[in-house]
Amino acid sequence: MGRLVMNSVSKKFNNFLALENVSFEVEDGEFVCLLGPSGCGKTTILRLAAGLEAPSSGDLTLDGKKISGVNKECGFVFQEYALFPWRTVKENIEFGPQVKGMTRNECERISRYYIDLVGLGGFENRYPHELSGGMKQRVGIARAYANNPKLLLMDEPFGALDAQTRNLMQSELLRIWEKEHISVLFVTHSVDEAVYLGDRVVIMSARPGKVKDIFKVKLERPRIRTSPEANIIRDSVLKSLSTQIKMASKSG
Amino acid sequence: MKIDSGKKGLIINILSLIGFVILWQILVILARNDSFNIPFIRLRDIPTPVETWYALADSMFTRTYGPGLTYGIINHVYASLQRVVQGGIIAFIIGVPVGIGVGYSKLIGNLFNPVIEIVRNMPPMAWIPLSIFIFVFGGSIFIVFIGVIFPIILNTIQGVKSTDPRLIDAAKTLGASESMIVKKVVIPSAFPSIITGLRIGLGVGWMAIVAAEMVIRSPVGLGYFIWNMGDLGRYAEMVAGMIVIGVIGYIMNISILFFQRRFINWAD
Repeated sequence: MGRLVMNSVSKKFNNFLALENVSFEVEDGEFVCLLGPSGCGKTTILRLAAGLEAPSSGDLTLDGKKISGVNKECGFVFQEYALFPWRTVKENIEFGPQVKGMTRNECERISRYYIDLVGLGGFENRYPHELSGGMKQRVGIARAYANNPKLLLMDEPFGALDAQTRNLMQSELLRIWEKEHISVLFVTHSVDEAVYLGDRVVIMSARPGKVKDIFKVKLERPRIRTSPEANIIRDSVLKSLSTQIKMASKSG
Repeated sequence: MKIDSGKKGLIINILSLIGFVILWQILVILARNDSFNIPFIRLRDIPTPVETWYALADSMFTRTYGPGLTYGIINHVYASLQRVVQGGIIAFIIGVPVGIGVGYSKLIGNLFNPVIEIVRNMPPMAWIPLSIFIFVFGGSIFIVFIGVIFPIILNTIQGVKSTDPRLIDAAKTLGASESMIVKKVVIPSAFPSIITGLRIGLGVGWMAIVAAEMVIRSPVGLGYFIWNMGDLGRYAEMVAGMIVIGVIGYIMNISILFFQRRFINWAD
């Protein structure tokens, strides 16, 4: 469960063509990274998959069901965390279960489980402004997981973190993902991140956004960031990407 | 006026207040000795701070000033505060939902905005003559209501409109319905603005009540008190009443600010 299919999806905003004929899929339980220059519509793809936008043509399906209207079977993790600042860590995580009408006890049980899973024990009653960036994103991930989604959509979730925290959070995300195996579509503009995390890396081109290349990362986890195999993949990803960036900067 | 929380700032604040009172005393005394004079101003008729202080202490509790005047300042304060609280509560109950509706829905906005935009430019005082003949009682509460409701509506609208759209997206993907989004995202997010609106509104309402009590001639209330003392030539009592008005307005303002800092501490 959790197979996302994008079927020749195009998206126009007024007269601006953001995505053109994008087709790829995220297999059940697969970790797919979306990589491309800024303005290539990566975030738009996530918003389409979440049902926050509707495609201009083509369609998206999750487990064969067409996505129309907000897709409540996906969890969204935002770059700037988008935590509810008036809710504590625990209350943020309980938001999804609460609006689903679960009882207090169920909410409690769910938040306890995910607080432990993401390693936030002892911080459950803190407010977001009392947390570091890495901890905020742990809350963001726990909040998305607590809704029991089939697909996790992550929009540059670690983009605002310093390099060390970022590496740590990547490993943490993989640890959580290996425990709670759901499909992930992960947007990033970091080649390192994409090659470290993804089962596959989808390379996008810009203006309009199109799928340019798809790389399979056949490396065993836990991966060594600096292994020769990883470097070879990184090299080919970078080559594919650099032609894109050149094109984007010419036309932009 | 905001008093600095730092120690140094506090000392300067207190000194400035004392300095002002001393200057006031000196100027009036000099004017009474004919050694200082400002053309066209009868400085000598202004009660001194000392006289004002005695008048305040004297008229604080129940006492008699000839026919029908048996209330102390404390009773007048209570009466005025009661009207402000009543008018404020009604304004809050009506203003917040209207502000949320107008801020959240384009349709409701288009429906209400023309009326709001015109009526809010009519000062509370302009409503006094009308309220005198349409309200059998409670006309001054209505004047407060007019003064309080528009700051509440406008600040609520602003608070609702500045809700972070990503929070709304987050709530949507977590399965929240439209009404849940309003209840669990828009209102909490607008709450600090709503309280700011209440604070500004009560300030306006407090000014409006004094004016209303002067004109509407309620038998008790601070506006009535200072008007009457003026009529009776008891200027020290009158000035004491004015100072009480200022101090209470200030206390209302800092109480709500304190509440905001204490209980809405997430809004950093």
